[in-house]
Amino acid sequence: MATSVTLSQEQTGHTTLPAVARTLAVLKRVLKQLVRDRRFLALSIAAPLLIMYLLKIFFDSLGNFGPSRYIVPAGALIIHFLTYILCAIVLVRERTAQTLPRMLVNGYRRAEIILGYLAAYTILATIQTLIVLFELAWVFNLDYDLGKQLSIYLVNWLLAVISISLGIFLSNFSENEGQMLPTIPLVILPSVFLSGFLINVDKLPGWIEWLSRLTPLYYANTVLQSLIKPGGELSQEWPSLLGLLLYGIIVLVLATFTLKEQE
Amino acid sequence: MSENNGPAIHIEGIKRSYGHIEALRGVDMQVEKGTIFGLLGSNGAGKSTLIKVLVGSTRPSAGHVRVLGLDPFKDARKLRELLGYMPQAPALYEDLSARDNIHFFGASHRLPDLAGQVERVLTFTDLVARAGDAVSGFSGGMKQRVSLACALVHQPQVLFLDEPTAGVDPLLKEAFWEHFRQLASEGVTLFISTHLMDEALLCDKLAIMRAGTVLACDTPQNILLRGNSTVKIWRGQKLERETISQYPTQLPGLLQSYGLDPAITKLELDQDNLETIMLRLINDKPGAGQTVDAQV
Repeated sequence: MATSVTLSQEQTGHTTLPAVARTLAVLKRVLKQLVRDRRFLALSIAAPLLIMYLLKIFFDSLGNFGPSRYIVPAGALIIHFLTYILCAIVLVRERTAQTLPRMLVNGYRRAEIILGYLAAYTILATIQTLIVLFELAWVFNLDYDLGKQLSIYLVNWLLAVISISLGIFLSNFSENEGQMLPTIPLVILPSVFLSGFLINVDKLPGWIEWLSRLTPLYYANTVLQSLIKPGGELSQEWPSLLGLLLYGIIVLVLATFTLKEQE
Repeated sequence: MSENNGPAIHIEGIKRSYGHIEALRGVDMQVEKGTIFGLLGSNGAGKSTLIKVLVGSTRPSAGHVRVLGLDPFKDARKLRELLGYMPQAPALYEDLSARDNIHFFGASHRLPDLAGQVERVLTFTDLVARAGDAVSGFSGGMKQRVSLACALVHQPQVLFLDEPTAGVDPLLKEAFWEHFRQLASEGVTLFISTHLMDEALLCDKLAIMRAGTVLACDTPQNILLRGNSTVKIWRGQKLERETISQYPTQLPGLLQSYGLDPAITKLELDQDNLETIMLRLINDKPGAGQTVDAQV
């Protein structure tokens, strides 16, 4: 070992670094990890493409079905599912590797870690959402005008960001990957049945109708169903859009405060 | 350096339980600045828990702690700028390079020249040649070196090292201790946990822990003096054994009683080692022999 180097103790008067700089440090580190994990990246891109293609085969087999009522929300479900899984495991992995407590002892704060992760995975989710919606429009020949397509993208992108936050929030309650896995169907299955995409939630018992408000896909689906109707605009469903936004903010705040700083 | 004129670490009556298991049962100790303080004990003695309390990662059930005069919980933000922590597990991002890991942990502090400081700790830990390689391909010893570099990058005033040489070969262990001595000479306080007796003897002061209690806290030399020495005296084929409790001062008296007997053909002195002394301390202290089985 090289012992000739002296680590001078003269510079110890360093002051606290701004929160933004630390958040950016987390973002850069997570992005570096994502870029280095080529298999994960390839699967993240290839999986939605494959699922959308299987969906096309499924809808084609149903004949003249007029599937647009289902196709766009199905795309949203795939985005919700994939982005949730993407981030659900990462913080658990940090905990088992003990890098999370080390980060905290090193001066990174809870909100900086959560926002850094969210920002990094949002970049990936942005690309994923674009790919899903492009393929959706292509294989199903959806001929919406540019404004409508942008509105659909915005809703799906927002859903993706919220799904990442939800993944981070729920991962705070798991000590290891094994404990995290059961939460995947617990989040995804209610999203399928309670979002209003397959079953009209108004026809379900009152308490289940209330339960549907706990899944972000409910708000996203309500906005999307309105958007895909002829003449549908984003502004027509602003309460659901607001609900989606509020949902995201609440989950993000909960994710930050449930991340344990100490044992 | 810190404005605090008191000890680097002050621990008073620290207790910590995990359910029904008492990991720490009222620990008191004080560590002076610029010294190497060793925490010696077997697995489950409470060493890691105590370090986690000191770095503000585990909240104690009772007692008071001050590191550089600061409370690790109330003054966490200020203190975290001043302390370095190397956990028992490497706690590194295996898919990133050594340089990226060190840079990331250094980036949480405002350092005037972070890139330069990263290169300095890479040189200090002799990692320059492999700095760009992913940590996943490193040996256990190299990972320990990266972990040490991560703890050092922001030039902490107090360094907490939880079994830093576990799984490290003897050559590397010697190099680690050269580093530790160099850091202490620069005024850094090192708080090191270990279960290795030879390593414990290299510390300036030593606390022997067992089942969450401190059995002894003194310099290694003074702890060694607590041991007995056996003097073996041969007269031809006949062996006689004499036990003395204070080796350097009692030995002349013992030998005087034998005179310079020409029949004495051989003399041997067996001194208790740290392990024997530790075992005796455990047996002398009722309840301290109880092992804490939980991974704490």
